[in-house]
Amino acid sequence: MYRYDEFDHAFVAGRVAQFRDQVERRLAGEIAEDAFRPLRLMNGVYLQLHAYMLRIAIPYGTLNSRQMRMLAHIARKYDRGYGHFTTRQNIQFNWPRLEDTPDILADLASVEMHSIQTSGNCIRNVTADHFAGAAADEAADPRPYAEILRQWSSVHPEFVFLPRKFKIAVTGADYDRAAIQVHDIGLHLKKNDKGEIGFDVYVGGGQGRTPMVAKKIRDFLPEEDLLSYITAIMRVYNLYGRRDNKFKARIKILVHEMGAERLSAEVEAEFNELKNGELKLPEADVEKIRSYFALPDLPERPEGWANLAAWKKADPEFARWVDQNVKPHKHPDYGMVTISLKPIGGIPGDASDSQMDLIADLAEEYAFDEIRISHEQNVIFPHVALADLEALYRALKPANLSTANNNLITDIIACPGLDYCALANARSIPVAQEISNRFRSHERQAEIGELKIKISGCINACGHHHVGHIGLLGVEKKGAELYQITLGGSADNETSVGEIIGRGFEPEKVTDAVEVVVDTYLGLRLSPQETFLEAYRRVGPQPFKEALYGGASAEAA
Amino acid sequence: MTRIWNEAGFVNDDPWVIETEETKAGNNEKPILPLDAFLEKAKAGESGLGVLIKPADNVKELAPYLDRIALAAVSFPAFSDGRSFSHASILRERLGYQGEIRAVGDVLIDPIPLMLRVGINSFAVTNPVALKRLEEGRLPGIDKHYQPTARPSQNPHSYSWRRVS
Amino acid sequence: MALQILTANRLTDGIAVWYDVDGRWNESIARAEIASTKDDAERLEAIGKKAFADNLVLDVNLIDVEVDNGFIRPLRLRERIRAEGPTIDYVI
Repeated sequence: MYRYDEFDHAFVAGRVAQFRDQVERRLAGEIAEDAFRPLRLMNGVYLQLHAYMLRIAIPYGTLNSRQMRMLAHIARKYDRGYGHFTTRQNIQFNWPRLEDTPDILADLASVEMHSIQTSGNCIRNVTADHFAGAAADEAADPRPYAEILRQWSSVHPEFVFLPRKFKIAVTGADYDRAAIQVHDIGLHLKKNDKGEIGFDVYVGGGQGRTPMVAKKIRDFLPEEDLLSYITAIMRVYNLYGRRDNKFKARIKILVHEMGAERLSAEVEAEFNELKNGELKLPEADVEKIRSYFALPDLPERPEGWANLAAWKKADPEFARWVDQNVKPHKHPDYGMVTISLKPIGGIPGDASDSQMDLIADLAEEYAFDEIRISHEQNVIFPHVALADLEALYRALKPANLSTANNNLITDIIACPGLDYCALANARSIPVAQEISNRFRSHERQAEIGELKIKISGCINACGHHHVGHIGLLGVEKKGAELYQITLGGSADNETSVGEIIGRGFEPEKVTDAVEVVVDTYLGLRLSPQETFLEAYRRVGPQPFKEALYGGASAEAA
Repeated sequence: MTRIWNEAGFVNDDPWVIETEETKAGNNEKPILPLDAFLEKAKAGESGLGVLIKPADNVKELAPYLDRIALAAVSFPAFSDGRSFSHASILRERLGYQGEIRAVGDVLIDPIPLMLRVGINSFAVTNPVALKRLEEGRLPGIDKHYQPTARPSQNPHSYSWRRVS
Repeated sequence: MALQILTANRLTDGIAVWYDVDGRWNESIARAEIASTKDDAERLEAIGKKAFADNLVLDVNLIDVEVDNGFIRPLRLRERIRAEGPTIDYVI
């Protein structure tokens, strides 16, 4: 993974010093809150219901054991012993004191981490496929480009006061695991017949109040033009994005109102001016950055095959975990392991400081010191020898980190919701916990198969409910919580926004409603091989509406 | 009280006044004109003019008349309106304007280093904290940069996109 | 009018606080000063504004409450959660 050089260290140190000065001035009353707010947001410091919240960047979801241990340390020293991994591959702490944040940032800087631009109207963490570098279906590793974009976008003076936040995602595989079509800019890294690298560029995807699927505006942008072209998009957005209405300020609205063709033309015109200038990416620079992301030396471990078969036979629980949570790796002796942060009845995406420390230790021992965070709030070890799976599993189990539910119904994605978040209308976590408990049975989960439930506590959709196979949106109605169900959303190559199915459900009724949806699916699927999403796309909402609402009125709440 | 600052320090006797319906430049004062008024005068052959670029204006309209401009002001009606960062960048990089670009409006101390980098080189400052910091010569910037900008800076001979002040 | 109390978050550490009968910003809602008239509410509002201007607190708001058996209970769920803390256990 990327390692800071002297320049990076100096930059982050400068940033910490700058923020320390800003915090001191704020505490002394020399900056008013409305001037300080964008400054603290650009360092990831939010104000939530109970306290401040600090969002720390995990660039393209990649970190090593040293960094994970620092996160555990921060949880212990400055917070209440736990952290929350998010749908943008970042981590959030819920109880930092403002006066401690400069010290926290200094601690982070010592392990090459930061919280720069994790909030505010600027370019946010560039996210990527969490299996990057390991997946067999990858054309090329997207992370070097995510790193280049991370650097280039850091304190870019022209783009520090955009109309609104800006999110970029990159995938290097044809199968999109990075949800690029619901990002402001989505980049699909490809190779052409000559083996040259280029990007299909998508613009204007997003969730929130007006979910939209991104439009492709460029086919195969050559690698060397990446920064020039992105600059062109950003400049057009900065100048023409709406600033009169916060809810219409994202680039997706600009794409919608201008039309993708016209926007593309504007971008192209600007790009033509920038194209052969200072932003052209020299191949040597890309190579140098790429060299940080080389696959570790993976020793042959063929004994894993036979051992794995024997272990699975001896322990059905272990077998379940392997089958569900381990995916094929480029190298046949290895697997990509998902460490579930969704224990039955647990808080999705949360980890305690001791769990973080354990993950760090195990990453060093079994995973070549490489850890990823997926946008579905799980931890990934991308490189684990099959021969080490059993030992890894045994170590994870006592820490409640071995839940065999990757992509199953209890692998729920949920935002913090009204338990923490000042923007929320309803709680998400207790809903997730109840659904998880209801479907805890292994057999039942296996029978249901792949089913992604995503829960958001408000229209801002941080839980990504629009792209959940089953999406739950918490709203407030007459002072009480109510949950709208959407069905058929997906964030993969055929990205689709879920359809609202009818009026909402009270908290006590939501789990039953989900169960009705699941049972309906089981009743109408063509075979166990037809997933929920496939079945929904075949039959549409009608059978589900009938099951949930019968003949009664089903207009949305 | 609004004072004019540039990297050489505070400017006394600055003659420029932003012209509005209510405010006109008096004797010994020079008007900073709205874009339409500037274009009229520039087409008529006048020079030594001041022009105000508002966020929604198209700064490229200045292209044929750069040599008529003595002062280009870029406006920040709210500090969070970042369009003038692009205006200044385009004015410097695209149009090649080499004269004075002044930030006017809600100019606070923390964005000033960023404004300098996009080629703004003078500032109309009213905010008391900003004035105080400028008097002390303490600018809250970082001298390492991850992108080339309108204002030339040194190439540290590292990755092509990096610069230092 | 509904009974009202004054709440905010402390500047230094962000912790949710309520203005209490002793004139302090208290981490517990239990002793919050209650405004039952328009004048009282205006007085609390002014106190809130001053505390914000003095850089003690931020996000200052008057919120509606009821008093139930001597206990102060915010009417809005959001404020009840603020007063009682997250509704979930910390156990992970």
